[in-house]
Amino acid sequence: MSTSEEKTKEVSANADSDSGGAIILFFIIGFVASLIAGWIIFPKLLYCQKKQPIDFNHVLHMEEVDDGCESCHFFREDGTYAGVPKLEQCVGCHEEAVGEDPEEVKFVNEYVAKEREVPWLIYSKQPDCVFFSHAAHVKTAGMDCVTCHGPIGESTSLKVYEENWITGYSRDIWGQNMSGLKEHAWDRMKMDDCAECHVKNNVKQTSVQTKKGACFVCHK
Amino acid sequence: MKIDRRSFLSFIIGGAAGTALSPLPAKLTDDLSIWTQNWPWTPVPEDGEAIYADSVCTLCPGGCGISVRKIDDRAIKIEGMKGHPVNDGGICILGLSGLQLLYGPTRVKTPLKKTSNGGWKKISWDEAIAEVAENLGKLRSEGQPQALACISGSDQGTVPQLFRRFMTAYGSPNYMCVPSSQDSYSITLKLMQGAQASAGFDIENADFVLSLGSGIIEGWGSPVCMFKANSACEAKKGKVVQIEPRLSNTAAKADQWIPINPGTEGDLALGLAHLIIKDDLYDKDFVGNNTFGFDDWTDDKGKSCQGFRQFVLENYGPEKVAETTGIDADTLTSLAKSFASASNPVAICGRGQGKRPGSIHEFIAVHALNALKGSINRKGGVWAVPEPNYISWAEPETDAVAQKGLQTPRIDGAGTEKYPYTKSLLNRFAEVVGSEGESPVKMLFVSGANPCFTLPDTGAVKAAFENIPLVVSFSSYMDETAKAADLILPNHVFLERYEDVPPPAGVNKNVIGLSKPVVDPQFDTKHAGDAIISVAKALKGSVGSAFAWDSYEACLQETMGDKWDSLNEKGFVVPDTAPACEKTYTTPSGKFEFFAAGYEQVTIEGDEKWYPLILMPYDSMRLSSGFIGNPPFMTKTVEDTVLKGNDIVVEVNPLTVRESSALFVKDGDYAILSTPKGKATVRVHLSEGIMPGIVAMPTGLGHTAYDEYLAGKGTNFNELIGPVEDPASGLDAAWGIRAKLANIAS
Amino acid sequence: MKKEHEHKAKKYGMVIDLDKCTGCGACMVACMAENNVPFRADETDKLLSITWMRVYKLTNAMPFPKTEICYLPRPCMHCEGSHGHSPCVSVCPATATDYSEATGIVSQIYTRCFGCRYCMAACPYHARYFNWWDPVWPEGMEKYLSPNVSPRMRGIVEKCSFCFHRYQLAMEKAHYEGRHGLEEDEYQTSCTQACPAGAITFGDLNNPHHAVYKLKKSENAFRLLERLGTNPKVYYTSSRKWVRQAGDNYLRDEKDNVIDKSKFRN
Repeated sequence: MSTSEEKTKEVSANADSDSGGAIILFFIIGFVASLIAGWIIFPKLLYCQKKQPIDFNHVLHMEEVDDGCESCHFFREDGTYAGVPKLEQCVGCHEEAVGEDPEEVKFVNEYVAKEREVPWLIYSKQPDCVFFSHAAHVKTAGMDCVTCHGPIGESTSLKVYEENWITGYSRDIWGQNMSGLKEHAWDRMKMDDCAECHVKNNVKQTSVQTKKGACFVCHK
Repeated sequence: MKIDRRSFLSFIIGGAAGTALSPLPAKLTDDLSIWTQNWPWTPVPEDGEAIYADSVCTLCPGGCGISVRKIDDRAIKIEGMKGHPVNDGGICILGLSGLQLLYGPTRVKTPLKKTSNGGWKKISWDEAIAEVAENLGKLRSEGQPQALACISGSDQGTVPQLFRRFMTAYGSPNYMCVPSSQDSYSITLKLMQGAQASAGFDIENADFVLSLGSGIIEGWGSPVCMFKANSACEAKKGKVVQIEPRLSNTAAKADQWIPINPGTEGDLALGLAHLIIKDDLYDKDFVGNNTFGFDDWTDDKGKSCQGFRQFVLENYGPEKVAETTGIDADTLTSLAKSFASASNPVAICGRGQGKRPGSIHEFIAVHALNALKGSINRKGGVWAVPEPNYISWAEPETDAVAQKGLQTPRIDGAGTEKYPYTKSLLNRFAEVVGSEGESPVKMLFVSGANPCFTLPDTGAVKAAFENIPLVVSFSSYMDETAKAADLILPNHVFLERYEDVPPPAGVNKNVIGLSKPVVDPQFDTKHAGDAIISVAKALKGSVGSAFAWDSYEACLQETMGDKWDSLNEKGFVVPDTAPACEKTYTTPSGKFEFFAAGYEQVTIEGDEKWYPLILMPYDSMRLSSGFIGNPPFMTKTVEDTVLKGNDIVVEVNPLTVRESSALFVKDGDYAILSTPKGKATVRVHLSEGIMPGIVAMPTGLGHTAYDEYLAGKGTNFNELIGPVEDPASGLDAAWGIRAKLANIAS
Repeated sequence: MKKEHEHKAKKYGMVIDLDKCTGCGACMVACMAENNVPFRADETDKLLSITWMRVYKLTNAMPFPKTEICYLPRPCMHCEGSHGHSPCVSVCPATATDYSEATGIVSQIYTRCFGCRYCMAACPYHARYFNWWDPVWPEGMEKYLSPNVSPRMRGIVEKCSFCFHRYQLAMEKAHYEGRHGLEEDEYQTSCTQACPAGAITFGDLNNPHHAVYKLKKSENAFRLLERLGTNPKVYYTSSRKWVRQAGDNYLRDEKDNVIDKSKFRN
């Protein structure tokens, strides 16, 4: 009996000295595992990777046009912004393939010939309740496209479109950095980023409720 | 090492700490909150380039210019066209709802053929045209072209005229139009002025408007044009007096509302004429120089005839008129004074929206009042607006079969010796066709009309339709008539087609409009003009050669000639070769002719003993009562004192209930409304805005066709009333019917 | 970024001439068509029927034949209250409704609203409506929906916005053309534009060059329930005294007193 009692004591003593280490170990395992899950696995799971229907080379096109971004991304006469070009603008040059790039051939065969619009995936797409006036920012405030859209004009290829499984919006809205921190103005496109810039630039804050920007400035 | 409770907890705590330091909580919260705002089954309208496409609305005879806002190829909103001579930016409730008719579920999407069990079978256009042509061919080979009849919504414009031309080439005289108060007006103008014209009122420039029941701001004539004219008249301090038993919107907005015993409007006009003549207040210059029959006269045979002056002085003294009309003599006197002392007074009649014709005598009496003040063809008065003359096609050549057919008498008796000036008598249709036995009509075309809803005694009309072997509907919508048809050849709706728009009804605006396709046809439909041309071509022979045009568009372009370009560009033309409002009178005397006899009231149907009350219809801007059914937006605006649930609400004065021994109801209660023609369960709204003894029922409800947004709501007034023939014109002159309200048997 | 130009704050408002209004209902449908307002098969329960602009029928309650009727179109009043504290804005726990000092417009942000309906209780004008059901457009009809106004979902409150999207679009055009302000006719609500009788006038109540500035000063002008201090931006004019009196809740013995507007107006 005594031996067994001693054994038990021994075990418990061992356990005592062991358990401190085990607790820490398990803490660390849990800690590291969740950090890995949160920082690495979660983002991988959160976004599905989508390829643009056609790969587009901005650099190549920038060389061909005279008017920079506005050559293709232009304002309509009523001040609204046309956004991503429609087929009819592309057809001006691409009635038939001008080069030998397989992407262009695909574009001509699949879309131009069939008169189908290209279902571009829009990195900066905002929810339906958002009203954004390009004219106010570009014309009145004199902002550059880069400020919000980044140096997309310098890309030779379209990056993968990462769609959030939960929200359905592009990763570019939250930003590539999962922590939500941003380095450049164009890293994020959430409402807070709009608001932050408005405050910084002394846009009149007209809300009675919040003393900040009124909701109807950007919502419809 | 063993995982015990403590280390497990430690693992969890470590995990929690790590999670807290990872972006997961914040990001997940953010994403989930965005997710809660995503309602994938709520449509997100696609954005695109906004453009405006101008056209003309043809949902009513108003002829308003419209600007349709489009996003890429979707039409998203109809607005009034600024600068258009008819409506200058204004638009009515029906026009605004037009897109619900374009994109709505009531559209007939392809040609349909009724199957033996009453269902519908989709057929191709070739099959549809071939089927119609085959049946038409059979009828002709039997030598019975006159057994084809056609009901058209209007008589003006190229599409109705193509149908008329088809009827002529085919050999049938039985082309009928949906009647309106303009039919009564055109007979009046023919009789009194010898003019082949319609009446156009210049309310805008009038300074005193005496409206005998006309809903000048409830859709009479060209609705928006009348709204604007009314506002302009009031802005210039013009006076509007509304005379009718019910406090309609027009009455409510008028400077004065005078309730009158219904059906005595003609007597009132003559009573006012009496007072004006007696006090020497009439326009002596006009009456003396331009009229005939005012003073007593002698005819060719030497017989002396009583003139209008003597006639009204003898027969329409204020006491007598006060008794018939229920308007006291003092009111009559002051009304006569105000009318006579105004510099541009005008009297107008045609009840409600003017969709129903009326007693010619009443129209003549009212028109005589205008003549007394010289308000004929002058600023602020009534104009005889000649029928538009831009359609000048060569008469079609007819073969022997057609000639024989054309010589048969019309089935409705219009244009006969009895009713020489009446063009068609659709009110007789149900009786002539009958519900059993052999129908004189073997085949019927219906275009731009919904007679199975809009004609009085709808039950009999529907039975008559059943009795016709082949009914072909050209309707864009599955309306009551389309439902009763055997074949449907769906027309494009107005936003998908070209069509000329004749000058607007009821106003003196000389404008021809062009309705243009704003969007591509949404379904497999065909322009009714093209359909009739195709049918004619399929028949070949003289019928086919009467339609030499390749398409309707070619026909329209050719018809419009040099006007086409500016029409296409601007949407309307104001012809400078004005169908100049005729200043001359082409009556036998060459002058404006007064009539001094025969002013009888029209007796409505029903025995007072059994039916102590009078049921009258009322029109409202919020209910489309014509051949276009109410779109959902309009029905949404209907007040709950008009429609409650699926129950129609009738207006009754509280006194009517108090004085009745058979009726005990509170506001909103159910009751049974019966007339000699039918019965309906209604709810009663007790209103002080209506004369005791009268039951007022809204028109435009009680559809049995269309969609869930319209079908089964309320009762169709036309089911409770039958036509009463006007002795002078044969047109329907029923302004109401005797009725009874009783409690629901408990 | 250039500093936004300072302009005098605008206060958009409406003057509705009740003498001209014919009760035709065009404003109601103009509003529904402009703002993607849904509809249902039965809309006769008016408490549930979403109509941002609603035409009410007033009567003078006199017996036949002295009865009179007046129609009164009622959009959202865009109450200013005192310093922008309109009844609904003050109570919203979600900051879904807000008052803008730049335009004087009371906004409603649908995605922000969680449907507590506190604002509906607070609004004395019944101008707010709750979406008890998902909006459903019969197949094909979703084609006419405007991209300028986002369709609402079940469970949220909506109301007249003075067609704010038209202001956004007009401003966008102005920005594009290098202007900083709007002409009077550049921003008009859908109901104003549609009214066939020309009864509605819309504009900046602070701008002496706008028609509303003068019209609101008419001696026949009044506002609804002025004594509540809601300070609405919708004015009505009527030449009929009973109509003007119907604009507020008066005790019987007050009836004959002429409304002392100066007390409630700022």
